[in-house]
Formats: sequence, C-alpha cells, structure tokens
Amino acid sequence: MSAQVAATAGATRPPLDVAAAPWRRVSPYTVGGTALLALVLPLLLVRLNIGTYLITLLILFFVQAVVAQSWNLIMGYGGIYSFAQVALFAVGGWTSGVLVHSLGWNPFFAILFSPLVAVVAALGIGLPTLRLRGVYVVLLTLAFHELARVFTVTGPRFISGGGYGLVTVQTFQFGDAIGDQRTIYLYYVAALMFAIATFVIWRVIHSPLGVAMTALRDSETYAVSRGINQFRVRIVVFAISAFFTGLAGGYSTHYNGGISTTIFDFPRIIDLLAMIVIGGWGTFGGPILGAGIVIGLDQYLVALGDYQTLILGLALAGIAVFAPQGLWPLIRRLYENYLAPEPLKPAVEVSPAAPHDTTEEL
Amino acid sequence: MSTQLVQAVWGGILFGSVYGLMALGLTLVWGAVRLLNLAHGAIFVVGSYIAYFVVSRLNLPILVALPIGVLGAAAFAYLMHLIFIRPVIGKPGFDNSTLIATVGISIAVSAAAILIFNPEYKVIPPVIGGNFTVSNVQITKQGLLVIASSLALFGLVYLFLTYTRLGMAIRAVSQQQEAASLMSIPVVRTYGMVIAISGALAGLAGVLLSPFFFLNPNSGFNPMIQALIVTIFGGLGSVRGALVAGFVLGIFESFVEVYYGVAWAQPGVFLLIILMLILRPNGLFGIGEVRRL
Repeated sequence: MSAQVAATAGATRPPLDVAAAPWRRVSPYTVGGTALLALVLPLLLVRLNIGTYLITLLILFFVQAVVAQSWNLIMGYGGIYSFAQVALFAVGGWTSGVLVHSLGWNPFFAILFSPLVAVVAALGIGLPTLRLRGVYVVLLTLAFHELARVFTVTGPRFISGGGYGLVTVQTFQFGDAIGDQRTIYLYYVAALMFAIATFVIWRVIHSPLGVAMTALRDSETYAVSRGINQFRVRIVVFAISAFFTGLAGGYSTHYNGGISTTIFDFPRIIDLLAMIVIGGWGTFGGPILGAGIVIGLDQYLVALGDYQTLILGLALAGIAVFAPQGLWPLIRRLYENYLAPEPLKPAVEVSPAAPHDTTEEL
Repeated sequence: MSTQLVQAVWGGILFGSVYGLMALGLTLVWGAVRLLNLAHGAIFVVGSYIAYFVVSRLNLPILVALPIGVLGAAAFAYLMHLIFIRPVIGKPGFDNSTLIATVGISIAVSAAAILIFNPEYKVIPPVIGGNFTVSNVQITKQGLLVIASSLALFGLVYLFLTYTRLGMAIRAVSQQQEAASLMSIPVVRTYGMVIAISGALAGLAGVLLSPFFFLNPNSGFNPMIQALIVTIFGGLGSVRGALVAGFVLGIFESFVEVYYGVAWAQPGVFLLIILMLILRPNGLFGIGEVRRL
C-alpha cells in the first residue's frame, strides 16, 4: 500500500545511477531548446554579413562531429585502437561518389548506400583485427588505411580518377534552390544526420551493448567471465561506428562535389584524434565539444600555418598526459548543476584496474 | 644470374636490414616499457635533421655529423620520456595517454622541422660514397655499410642485453616490473635508458638512410610503419624476431616489387602480415603474454 503511494507520488523517485536510467539525466527543455536553436539558427545567421560562412562552418562541424563521435564510440568506449576511421569515411565517400559519378544516380539515393558499404568494409576489417588487442589493432588498422589509400590512388580509373580521386561529383540539389537558400538546406541535411547519429550513439552507449563494451574495455577477463561475447560485442559496435562514418563520408562527397586522395593524409587523422582527446576521450559529449573547439580554433589559427600543427601536436600530447579527461567534465559539471532534472548522486569511487574488488558492485 | 634476381635479393637484404634497424628500437621500448612509440619516426627525423644541420650549415664531415645526430636523437627521446612518459608511468590510462602523446609529438616534430628548415627534400651525403655493379645491378657502398651496421647493432644489443648490468636490468624490468623494483632496480630510470637507446638507434637509422630516401619532415613515417609491421611480424618485444622478420619482409617485399611491380609491394606486405596474425597471433618469436594491452 505504502509502496503504491510512493510510486504514484512521483516526487520520491529513487536516485538511480546514470547507467541505469540515462534518460533521467536529460532535461527535455535542454534538448528541445537545442533542437529549436538548431532549426532557427541558419535563418538568423543568413541575415548576417558573414552568415553563410558561419553556416558552412556549422555544416563542417556536423560532419566532423559525426565522425569523431563514431570514432570515440569504438576508441574511447570500446577501447579498440582503430585507426581505420578515415578509411571508412573514405569508403562511404567513394561509394556514393562512384554511384553518382559513374552510374549517374541521384545523390540523395546514392548516399543511402554509403553507410551500408562502409559497414561491409568494417566487417572486413573487423574480422581479422578485433580478435587482437591493443597495438596489433593499431597496426592492422593503419595497414588497412594504407591499403585503402594505395587502392584509391592506383586502383581502376572510375575509382582513382587518375590518382587524384573523384574531382567532379554532382552535389546535392534541392529543386532549383541556389546560393544561401541551398546552403540552408544543406545545413538541415547535415543537422539531421548529426542528430540521428548523436541520438543513436547515445542510445548505444547506455544500452546493454554499450555497458558490455565498456566492461570489456575496463576489465576484459572479468567481462568475458560474466558471459560477454567479446568478439560479437566489438564487431557490432565497430559496424555501428562505421555506419555513421560512412554516412558522413557520403555527405561530405556530395557537399564538396568530390573526394580527393588527400583525405588519407596523416593530418586528417590527427585532427579527428585532437577532437576526441581535447573534448574528452571516452565521454559522450567530448567529441562534439572537441569538434567545435578544433574547427573553431582552426579558423583563427589558420593564419599561423605550420605553427598551428606544432601547437596542435603539443596540445594533444599535453592533454593526453596531464588532463586525460579532456574538457568535457567541466561542461558536464555545469550541466549537472544548472540544467539536469535531478541532482547527480555522488559517484562511487571505482578503481578501473579492479572493478570486482569493490563491494558496491556486488 | 639474372639481373632481376640479383636486384631482388640485394634490395631485399638492404630493405631488410633497414627495417630491422628501425624495428630494433621499437621492439626494445615495447618489450621493456610496454610503450608503443609512434614517435619513433619523429626521432628518426630529428636525428637526420641534426646531422643535416651539422653537415650543411656547420660544414663538418659526415663522420662527425653521424655521432652528433645519434646523440641528438637519443637526447630528444630522453626529453620526451621526461616530459610526456614519466608522469603517466603506472597510472591506469598509460596505454591511451602515451599512444596519443607520441602521435602528438610526431606531428609537432614534423611541423617544427618545416618551420626550422623547410618542406623541401634535403640530401645528406653518404658516409662512404661509390658503388660497383654485379650483373647490371648497382650496389652502393653506403648500402653495404647499412647492412653491416644493422647486423653489428643487433649483435651489440644482444650482447648488451645478455651480459651487462644495465642490460640485465632492462630484461628484468620487462619480464617482471614489480619483482625488478623489489630487487632495487631503478625501474623508471631503466625506462628512460631504454627510451634513450631506442632513440639513438632511430637516429642512426635516420642518418644512414637519408642518402637513400632523402630527408623531408615526414620521411620518418613510412620507415616507422614498416618497422611496426616488422616488429609485429617478429613478435613484439623480441630482438631476434625483429632481425629475422626484417629480412623476411624485406626480401618478400623486394621480390614482389621486382616481379609484380611497385604498386603491389605494400599491399602484399600487408596481406602477408594479416595472414600471419591470423595464423600466429603473437608473431614469429612472440611470447604469449599480450594481455597487458
């Protein structure tokens, strides 16, 4: 009887751990406000002088944030040091690029195939790699990156375009919209892609699958002995990550009107890595925050030329060693203090080396 | 003998010793510190640029520049250890932090090299010039020097690890870090020594190889990737494995290159390593202990 009262009263909901009820940490007002802002923003920005430039920056941010988030999903949460993310991005880009360029498909139709082919490629990469650990994964995925690069440079002409990549792919067309109007439509497509990817990745992180993958990262022996199929979990997460990376690749091809082989250059990997590390490795919002910071800073630092790379490299090394949490915890604390629907329970101190030693776990 | 065969064998032995030289440093650091040093290529570049600076700006002979480059590379590696690796030794996120930190260092070095010098290709003179031909294949004396010094270094490192105090300390630390520290071996200082030695090896490889590959700010990247492959092929942390795998892969690559064309060389090597990892996940001479990563 009293239990019923408590349940119907609603005010005395027991505080649950984040992992148990992630939706209770999210305020509908924050999400709604962000969504509304994202919808209205281009309409406001376009009235500014540099508005179009800002909108294109936002589009760039959406694309990069999707890739960074997917990479963080397997690298930060899954603990799989895969460096094939740019290669998967390229697979997605080339897929829809070739479909449009050689077969004359509509970009909106062709882009649907990008994530699928990227998933197939991810399965191909994952089957030999994901049974291995740590360094072996780094090396093999770098090898796949290199193979993909060699293939796009020396492969058949409809792929390599004579060594430069696909340089003239039809871009997205929205009826006969041109100029600012078209940019706004492009913005909405990118924002939709970003929203879907973010939501799915958030769901995956808090699903049993996500918990299993984090458990595998933290203590593989323990997780496996609790009945988690290590290979299956990893390959599913890898495929999910590849799906959105491929989608972003396809979008990027039709946004830029082509995809060049310079995409495989090492600085591209570094940029993405910097986003994840600066924002916060293995945190949900880290890569999004990091993408915003890196893209924003790039605009100011681009005048510095090579000093920019120097600074980026040192920042990467410094943050990795001295602040491995990145910048996300700062933002998160602000959110928890002012916007979250219910206060956060003080965290249980669990040493990552031995999760099964704490009594709270059992 | 046919020209092709001689060319394949010569190229294979040369590449093999080059890969071995690079892989030796990587495998030492991995074996002792459990650090995947992705800045190994950057240290290679540091060594070569120091030697280039000594030769071209100070106008000293290459034989003077060689030891200076090697010492400079070792000092750089030790500095890297002091700033970025020592603070995280023994912390939970060691793998993550050092992996990213070394990537960051490697791009910082290449940017610094562009800023100090310029992105153009540089030439370091060979330590010994001249060449002779064997059935229409040009064999450079510098190549012979690279092969000889690579073999000699493998021998030296082997003797060093087996018979000297520091070498034994390094082996003790790599086998059982806790037991080693209980035997009052200064673990962190040993780590620093290993990293410095590995840096010296990378610097030597840089100075000796730059006459072949030319020198630019990113020229360390490819040798490093090849060395990584060799290290994994031979078994991480195994000195003998690095030597054997270096020659196996070098000769394999060279034969593919000569008989099937350059475009197939790298894909061929990658396919070989993928097959290898499926058949023998710990490499040729790897020890079964890979659970720490």
